[in-house]
Amino acid sequence: MADFLQLLVAGLATGAIYALAAIGFTLLWQTSQTINFAQGEFVMLPAFLALIAMNLGAPFPLAALIAILGAMVILGLTFKLAIVDPLIKSGPLPLVISTIGVGLLLKDGVKEFYSAEAQPFPKVFPETPFSLGGANFTYAQIAVLGVALAVIMALNWFLAGTRTGRQMQASAQNPTVARILGINVNRMIFYTFLINAILAAVASLLIAPSQFAKFSQGEQLGLAAFVAAIVGGFNQVRGAIVGGLVVGVADNFAPTLLSAAGLSSAYRQALPLFLLVLIILFRPQGLVGRKEERAI
Amino acid sequence: MADDFILTLQDVVGGYGRMTILNGTTARIRRAAITTVIGPNGAGKSTMFKAIFGLLPVRSGRMTLEGRDTTNFTPRQMLDAGVSFVPQGRNIFAELTVRHNMELGGVALADQSGLPRRIDAMMQRFPILAEKAGAQAGTLSGGQQKLLEVARGLLLEPKLMLIDEPSIGLSPLMVQEVFGILKALRDSGVTILLIEQNAKQALQLSDYGLVLEQGQTRIEDKASTILADPRIAQLFLGGGLAPAAQ
Repeated sequence: MADFLQLLVAGLATGAIYALAAIGFTLLWQTSQTINFAQGEFVMLPAFLALIAMNLGAPFPLAALIAILGAMVILGLTFKLAIVDPLIKSGPLPLVISTIGVGLLLKDGVKEFYSAEAQPFPKVFPETPFSLGGANFTYAQIAVLGVALAVIMALNWFLAGTRTGRQMQASAQNPTVARILGINVNRMIFYTFLINAILAAVASLLIAPSQFAKFSQGEQLGLAAFVAAIVGGFNQVRGAIVGGLVVGVADNFAPTLLSAAGLSSAYRQALPLFLLVLIILFRPQGLVGRKEERAI
Repeated sequence: MADDFILTLQDVVGGYGRMTILNGTTARIRRAAITTVIGPNGAGKSTMFKAIFGLLPVRSGRMTLEGRDTTNFTPRQMLDAGVSFVPQGRNIFAELTVRHNMELGGVALADQSGLPRRIDAMMQRFPILAEKAGAQAGTLSGGQQKLLEVARGLLLEPKLMLIDEPSIGLSPLMVQEVFGILKALRDSGVTILLIEQNAKQALQLSDYGLVLEQGQTRIEDKASTILADPRIAQLFLGGGLAPAAQ
């Protein structure tokens, strides 16, 4: 039982980070039909922005702020203006391929201009363990979970509780009707790109202390976010939350389950893909997603 | 008064991509009256509304609202000019509450401080919406949703309202209610431009009628005259019409 709790909390902490990335992923899809295959690299990059700022002498809080603002400019504004806007008119496929290119560019750019080595990242929250009911947790796990959930709650409040947020929801649900009511749909789409950049930056800053910052990190993070979005339901923010937590928890339970089944722990990496296949076969709309009807 | 036109279309040409639907549409819509646009499927009725409201580019021709050129205005400019549009089908945001749906109708309002008061007034006018104010709009019946759309469209107190097929999918009782609302609006000075599948019923309620066929206006007359015109029956039975004599 103690083991179970321990794995569960560790899984939720990782999963909450995946959820941040997955939420951004679904927001971009909902508002602009952008399937961002660079999402993993979006989560990789901000930690390096923070490292650069710290190398230049900035204290961590300032570096974190610079990472978030830098992400908004590079991954929000520039991505939208330079890649999405010119390509979206040609349909989703050219854009999807371009996002793959953006991912490669970010990955190799960091490798080339910063380092190919994994970079240690300041441990903002203490890794000191504490024991509760026989299970061992670290303060860092709890703090990561807390920060991620707080950001998700703040986002939910913004989307549901503010008029701008509701205009964004309206633009995502039915852009034509939104335009008919006078909503500036393009501006609302731009806001979702900014939000995605912020979420990616927060995820980046939360995951870097435990996993280090590495140029190739995006591969695994992007896959996790993608699977989380599909597992939860591509068209729902709460789907991405559920999906992120499920993927994170499954990932943490995998070694135990695999050894119990007498399988090599090398299969752990295949687990998200296994989940993906299961969901697509048996519940294609995702765990909490809506079925979508396509008008022809 | 007879020549008081709020909206005019002059040889409007437009469509989707390269496809031309409006083929030189000309119309003059009278102020503070209900005008129903009828015509067979594919005649360009909905396309005409979209072109008027700026949802579709007009390739040539000219449109005026109260004498001012509004050709290729954006929807936002049309709203600011006093026109609102209730399109065909379901146009509510199902996951938002009734009140929040209504509130989105006020996005274009210049003075946002007056919005809550306007919403409350609209809720009073449609008590069923007040009753369901906190419910998700998707839980409303089809008729209530249409009511919500109309109420939302009225929030800006438009001079002209374009309504495309409001009765589709509604019970006969609800259709009567919606038509009753349109009449009351007309009586309060709002101009209504309506598309209705149920042409006969709509013309009975209307002051004027406009028969559209193949993107061109065939007849523009008093509703009662159109109702009595034997050619209308012929049109809806599939026969063509010669262009109306100018």
